[in-house]
Amino acid sequence: MSGEHEYPVVAEGLRKTFRHTRRSGLPDKLAVDGVSFNVRKGEIFGLLGPNGAGKTTTIKMLSTLLIPDEGSVRILGMDGIKDVKNVRQRINLVSGGERGLYYRLTGRQNLRFFANLYDIAKVGQEALIDKLLDIVGLTEAADIKVEDYSRGMKQRMHIARALVNDPEILYLDEPTIGLDPEIARDVRSLIRKLAGSGKTILLTTHYMFEAEELCDRIMIISKGRSVGYGTVAELKKMVPDTNIIEVVTNDDPHDTVAKLSSEHFIQHVNTERIAGRHCTRIQLKDRTDLLSYLDTVFSKYGIRKIGYDEPTLEDIYISLVGGEGQEDGGHHR
Amino acid sequence: MNVKAITAAFRQQGTQFLADPQWIIPSIIAPFMFTVVALYMYSGAGELDSPIVLTAVLGGGVLGMWGNMLFSSGFTITYDRYNGTMEPIMLTPTHLIDVIAGRSVWNVFIGMINAVLVFISAQLIFGVGVSVADPLLFFPMLLMTLFSLASIGLMLAALFVLTRASYVITTILEFPIYVFSGALFPITALPEALRPISYIFAPTWGVDALKTAAISGYNTPMASFGIWFDVLMMFLLIAVYIIASYFLFMRIERNIRESGTLARY
Repeated sequence: MSGEHEYPVVAEGLRKTFRHTRRSGLPDKLAVDGVSFNVRKGEIFGLLGPNGAGKTTTIKMLSTLLIPDEGSVRILGMDGIKDVKNVRQRINLVSGGERGLYYRLTGRQNLRFFANLYDIAKVGQEALIDKLLDIVGLTEAADIKVEDYSRGMKQRMHIARALVNDPEILYLDEPTIGLDPEIARDVRSLIRKLAGSGKTILLTTHYMFEAEELCDRIMIISKGRSVGYGTVAELKKMVPDTNIIEVVTNDDPHDTVAKLSSEHFIQHVNTERIAGRHCTRIQLKDRTDLLSYLDTVFSKYGIRKIGYDEPTLEDIYISLVGGEGQEDGGHHR
Repeated sequence: MNVKAITAAFRQQGTQFLADPQWIIPSIIAPFMFTVVALYMYSGAGELDSPIVLTAVLGGGVLGMWGNMLFSSGFTITYDRYNGTMEPIMLTPTHLIDVIAGRSVWNVFIGMINAVLVFISAQLIFGVGVSVADPLLFFPMLLMTLFSLASIGLMLAALFVLTRASYVITTILEFPIYVFSGALFPITALPEALRPISYIFAPTWGVDALKTAAISGYNTPMASFGIWFDVLMMFLLIAVYIIASYFLFMRIERNIRESGTLARY
């Protein structure tokens, strides 16, 4: 099997610095620093990392919107930097957020406009648009102006727009950001359906569960560098010394958690309320046996359960990235 | 040249125009107001059916259309930046210039409608005798003049892709055509050293052609070469503007792919 067929996306040593004008007084920002990876045909590949890690910059370099300062991009065997026109015929990109559609036009008019820019034949164009609207569940809203769409409907319209050229590779940049949990679940289900139809999908996210739920393989990116790359099982092997202790208590151990977070042997600690109990997850820096110590410390909160646990993707992420960008109120050192 | 994309952009601009009443202000009302102002300025002379008033109607109309063309070119880029639609357009295999060209053709279309409205209202409301000497020549000349304005708009649109300050720039750029095109006053009134600037503006030749076709006995140093020389100059300059636009767009597309500034608003 040739590389093109096995790996439709190959990135080698990508590097990108954004230069500010001298007048702005801001320093140049190294957004991506030597990232290399490949994406297998038909898989969902995830770029996982905190905000500002370089995920969007990477996806833009892979989708012809940005030229890397260094490195190469091969898309379906073509040069992803120079052979722009042919690459664009066969890829598409969905960006998260409200923007990217003509608000004064209806959903159908938006799709028709982009279908023409992809030179989709007039014959069959309306049938294609109907099909896309059906796939994303917007058939009934087809002739309503986009300005009257909800946030979730706009996101689904983004996906329909990105499917208009039947791309072999679909890039999804934070596809569920800002969506209600129920709508986000629908979007994830749609992504799975698209992958099932044979499309190669590369998505960026900073939601751990989304990456774990959707992606066949993941690259964890932090400060523009790859810090972990592989399946979730492979990533778990990357941090064999990670020691996780989970403590479930009746009372809120907030004070103790705050104190623990400043201890030198703690990598990260966070607590959350689940079904009326308080679940505290402690990630130790090495394989120190602290079970009895923690048992003593937490005893005043009424321990329901205490013990070692398997590291989750979130634990691995914290271990590799250092808890940067965590949105759960956790503490880390 | 991607005719399908140009047509799609033309239709998209038209649909948006109809969906958004604010466009009527720069496209219809402003050119009309220009003409009214010019009419009142010249009607002090008394004879509303004199060639000088017809000159005013033509000049006012052309300037109004230029304002609309310029505003539309700037706005269309700003609107795409604001909507975040510039990136999805850039993602397609279609060149941005084809999309902007389609929108420019829409502006030409609106310019024609506007011209008809100006002529009808000048006749019906103000009683100005606007019978043109050679209608068969006049209307093709009007269309060409509009294309010459649109081709400048196309060239400027490339520059507007680079900046978020297109509103400010369009305001500044409105004036050179006022001064140098001969629409408001004859270019013979300009100092001789400045006249070459007039000659590199395609609309200058368009205005001259329009006046030659509309006013019998119209005679200027430019008109002495004959109307077909005006046409030739317009053709040449429009071609130069379009070729320059193409290279500008190519360069700017590369530039924004390097700088990553496309999504900013």
